[in-house]
Amino acid sequence: MKRKIDRSSLRLLLVIALLVSTLSGCAMQPPQPWEKGNLARKEMTMSADPLDQAFTQHIYFSKESASGGYGVGGGGCGCN
Amino acid sequence: MESEGAVVAVTKRNTLSASSLEMPIKRVGAITLAALALPGVMTTVTHAENPPEEGIVTLRYQAYKDSQPGLDRIKVNAPSLYLSAPVAGVWSIEASVVQDNISGATPRWHTNISGASQMADRRLAGDVKVTRYFDRAAVGLRVAHSDENDYRSKAFAIDGRFSSTDNNTTWMGGIGITRDVINPVNELVIDERKNTSEFLLGVTQALSKNDLAQLVLTHTRGRGYYSDPYKLADERPRQRNQSIALARWNHFIEGNDTTLRGSYRYYRDTFGVRAHTAQLEWVVPVSERFIVTPTARYYTQRAASFYFDPIYDPIVGEPFPVGNPKFYSADPRLSSYGAITLGGKFEWRINRQWSVDAKYEAYEQRSAWRLGGSGSFGLAPFRAQFVQLGVSWRF
Repeated sequence: MKRKIDRSSLRLLLVIALLVSTLSGCAMQPPQPWEKGNLARKEMTMSADPLDQAFTQHIYFSKESASGGYGVGGGGCGCN
Repeated sequence: MESEGAVVAVTKRNTLSASSLEMPIKRVGAITLAALALPGVMTTVTHAENPPEEGIVTLRYQAYKDSQPGLDRIKVNAPSLYLSAPVAGVWSIEASVVQDNISGATPRWHTNISGASQMADRRLAGDVKVTRYFDRAAVGLRVAHSDENDYRSKAFAIDGRFSSTDNNTTWMGGIGITRDVINPVNELVIDERKNTSEFLLGVTQALSKNDLAQLVLTHTRGRGYYSDPYKLADERPRQRNQSIALARWNHFIEGNDTTLRGSYRYYRDTFGVRAHTAQLEWVVPVSERFIVTPTARYYTQRAASFYFDPIYDPIVGEPFPVGNPKFYSADPRLSSYGAITLGGKFEWRINRQWSVDAKYEAYEQRSAWRLGGSGSFGLAPFRAQFVQLGVSWRF
């Protein structure tokens, strides 16, 4: 049975396609080992403040339906 | 998930000088590695391929407060403690503990329902993670526990990451399981269970000397009790599968030494919920030791397929769904709406060892803010404030 693709799925595919095309097609040059000073900054890390992220995601988990995506093994709670 | 750890590993070996914001480059690497090693306490997977060079202890007071016009709502005070330390050169250990003290009245979610119940609860949660580092790879094991008077959760996870030879690309994977036991104080159900399995795949790419991008796909399979035992007319499926795509992009602006941090998350589940989350942060070092970070977040969701708009009857009382559906819920968290968060963070790096930070965010939900359609009917205005005050010590 064919599965109907909804608009959200199409939007997701579009976003991923845009991201992939950007990653691969733009004029950016991957850095050489001696060019990584800026990438090493704390604010360039994806989760610069994990305690902050944990607290904030916990609050959103209790107020919104969507959750997760940032890692595995967080565990549950009775707040949602 | 900081899979840019490989990038840092290379940086530590070069001799570039640091910018005005940071200390000497070796120091930058050390701090970054320490940051990379932070477990995220609740959800984050770390991805450094080098153990942290120093330990860090963070004590933070976190507070949350609901707000509705003229009404006292939920308050949460949550002191938390975090510790990370390298062990024997190729290991690291991280641990955290948080206590949520919850009090107040539950939100008056719908404009046509006047009731709101008082409640008080306390949640104690903690986790421990051990990571073993290899050449261009790392493997982490983590256990987590959360306990409150009507809900107990245990979680276990393993994650791994592997970097390319040029250290510009890091792949990551993870598996997690969660076992929850639910015993509501009204004894509507006893010893109900909820079991969840999570699967994660991702990649982080250094696009240029100023751009770092990440794509993470997560799939979660859940079975068990999803209904809310404290709500009338609430019967939800005993199965919930969730699929999430997360894209993040950090860009360093050389002209003014600021950093833009953007993210987008797509979410869908078998309840019928579809959600989009976009967030932007701008890290601005106003001096060598002071950093200001304004943030903005937008969230929108489509309602679950079994959500019904409640219509309050002054004679019958609490609303019930029309007809005789198998599943039904008037929980507004399952409704259609949009939400906006605006806020900012202030950090003061006092010296090499000590730093303090403060963060404030204002949050609001409105049905009219839903993207791509009208929101659910009759949702009451809802606002909240988040406050965090922290101090960190590195050793």
